[in-house]
Amino acid sequence: MASITVASAPARTRTRTGVGRRQWIGLLYVAPAVALVVVFFVIPLGMTAWMSLNNWPLMGEHSFVGLDNYAAILHDTRFWNALKFTFYYTVVVTIAIFAVAFPLAIFIERPRPLTNLYRTAFFMPAVVGFASASLLWSWLLNVDSGLFSPAAFDLGLTEKKVNLLATFQPAFWSIIAMVVWKVAGFTMIILMTGLQSIPQDLQEAAVIDGAGPFARFRLITLPLMRRTLALALILSVAGSILAFDQFYIILRGGPRNQTLTAVYWIFNQSFVSFKLGYGAALSMVLLVILVALSLIQLWLLRKPEGLD
Amino acid sequence: MKTMLAKLALAAAVIGGGLQAASAETANIWVRADGSNYMPRIVDAFNKAHKDQIKLDIIPNAEIIPKYGAAAAGGTAPDALSLDLIYTPSFAAGGQLEDITDWAKSLPYFASLSPAHVKTGTYKDRIYGLPFSADASVLIWNKKLFKQAGLDPEKGPTNWAEIEADAEKVNALGGDIKGFYFSGNCGGCNIFTFTPLIWASGGDILSEDGSKATLDSPQLRGAIDLYRSMVKKGMVPEGAQTDTGANFFAAFAGGNIGISPSGAFAIGALNTQYPNVDYGITFLPGKDGGWSSFAGGDNFVVTKGTKKIAVVKEFLDFAYSLEGQTILAKYGSLPVRNDIAKDALKDLDPRYQVAAEAMAKGKTPYSVVFNDLINSANGPWTQMVNEVFFGDDVDGAIKNAQDTMQSIIDQAPNK
Repeated sequence: MASITVASAPARTRTRTGVGRRQWIGLLYVAPAVALVVVFFVIPLGMTAWMSLNNWPLMGEHSFVGLDNYAAILHDTRFWNALKFTFYYTVVVTIAIFAVAFPLAIFIERPRPLTNLYRTAFFMPAVVGFASASLLWSWLLNVDSGLFSPAAFDLGLTEKKVNLLATFQPAFWSIIAMVVWKVAGFTMIILMTGLQSIPQDLQEAAVIDGAGPFARFRLITLPLMRRTLALALILSVAGSILAFDQFYIILRGGPRNQTLTAVYWIFNQSFVSFKLGYGAALSMVLLVILVALSLIQLWLLRKPEGLD
Repeated sequence: MKTMLAKLALAAAVIGGGLQAASAETANIWVRADGSNYMPRIVDAFNKAHKDQIKLDIIPNAEIIPKYGAAAAGGTAPDALSLDLIYTPSFAAGGQLEDITDWAKSLPYFASLSPAHVKTGTYKDRIYGLPFSADASVLIWNKKLFKQAGLDPEKGPTNWAEIEADAEKVNALGGDIKGFYFSGNCGGCNIFTFTPLIWASGGDILSEDGSKATLDSPQLRGAIDLYRSMVKKGMVPEGAQTDTGANFFAAFAGGNIGISPSGAFAIGALNTQYPNVDYGITFLPGKDGGWSSFAGGDNFVVTKGTKKIAVVKEFLDFAYSLEGQTILAKYGSLPVRNDIAKDALKDLDPRYQVAAEAMAKGKTPYSVVFNDLINSANGPWTQMVNEVFFGDDVDGAIKNAQDTMQSIIDQAPNK
């Protein structure tokens, strides 16, 4: 017994140093990535967390206030309203994006004449920045010098030029249309890769078994696209919950502050009211909400047991 | 190698510093984009005539406040800046500005400086800002359209009933011509041009010290009814409802608008960019006559602890000289020294005299939370003006704005 212990001890030490060296080399290789993450994510996040515990005006001295900012959030009805609107927008826009992107993905998945042209055309808007796309659309939607209202009026569809941005419903759906135009191409590409990864023989076997197109879509395509769907869904939901540019540039949160999103409210608190500490606390709350939502989605779309 | 480096360094020193005497100092000054016309001119004139120099940075309007805050936190703030006067109280409250009371009061013409600027530049009885540039709200009308509509082109409206009657006549010309224009979704534009209608009729929206919101007044209600009536009769273009200020000046400059409330800046802008628009300028009237104006513009403020304060004072002295005031007036700002305003304006467009008088007797609301209350695109004032001009529930909108404004005032730090 004793001899075994003695004999194995040096061996263990040798193994440890070997693993240790390999680990150090590995660490060295990931160091640049770690440094980037630390400098541009961990430190700012820590800083935000610290700021959220302070009364931190844009100018002047800051002071530690503990959890006061978080307590204030509980009574900040305008923030909760903004969050409510953000969720509503997220649900509507996500459904709209998938409703457009899925048919497009199916349409461009198989090689057929001009497929590459279609793919490029549908994907094009995705390479435009959100801010530039918003500026473009804010002029398209302008009632006096834009495209839609004057065109409808000139074609005799409306009696006078209708100001699309003046009331909630047309303004909201204009934004949805713009976001779908901008984002659907990107979601389409993600969904297309998922579609292409489904083995063709599975579909053929199902055809032989007598499954119709709808049954094949429901029982083969959808289940095998779980991971792709999860990715597209998480990207869409996270992007929509952080929506800001389009509402800021096109609507300024209007008409009558009905389209203020959560990030818009954080921006206002931080840079219009100069309450950086409070803005930081709101950001932390939003971060927690977003992480929770992403976890729920991953759990819902997890790989069921037994499925390859 | 060493000698070559030394030679290079010497050459650099000669090129870089040779043109100025060694003792000259350079102070850094910021201005918002609104000042991009007159500010470079006056800085050039100063730099040419003085040993000490000013380095000017022009910052986009919406960014100057956050940028200055960030720079101040990082220790890289400019030595001084030309700041929208309504922000002076909140900057002073933030402890960011140098107390310049003693110097200000030593100026022989201190009593003649624009009172609106000095009032907003004063916080807890100390002076932190002095007037630099000025703009006053006025009413402008299109003489050509007045003539076409059978109105006297030389006579602008002098009360509310005349505004509506004149706008209606112009509007009747039809086509693309509309009677009246205002930016219906812009808080800043409407505090500038709509509240003078209320002031001239004896009402106000804030108490004198800014501690109470006073929206529930018959004067406000009356002014709202005037605008609502013109909107209802189709005298205002559709785009006004969503205009966040982008069209504030451009709508009238297009030549199809009969009457529009505007600012003194429009004189310079119309004369240089739209010489074909024939326009008249008058005061913003009260319900039954009288007039008022929003005295706006920039205060000159000094960053706390700057080492270049002597240069900054030298520059401001120059700006207050007749030469400085004339340069400012020529390029779009009204004079801020009332004792020499007439001299500074004497060779310029006579319509400036109306604006200068409006400036001298103009009013400026005082609040440390002005941005939150009024200018913010999502603040209670902006929301209210849009609702009361175009919505259905005027009383509800006023009450909502009154409550929200009061709660913002009550929650303000360093009241």
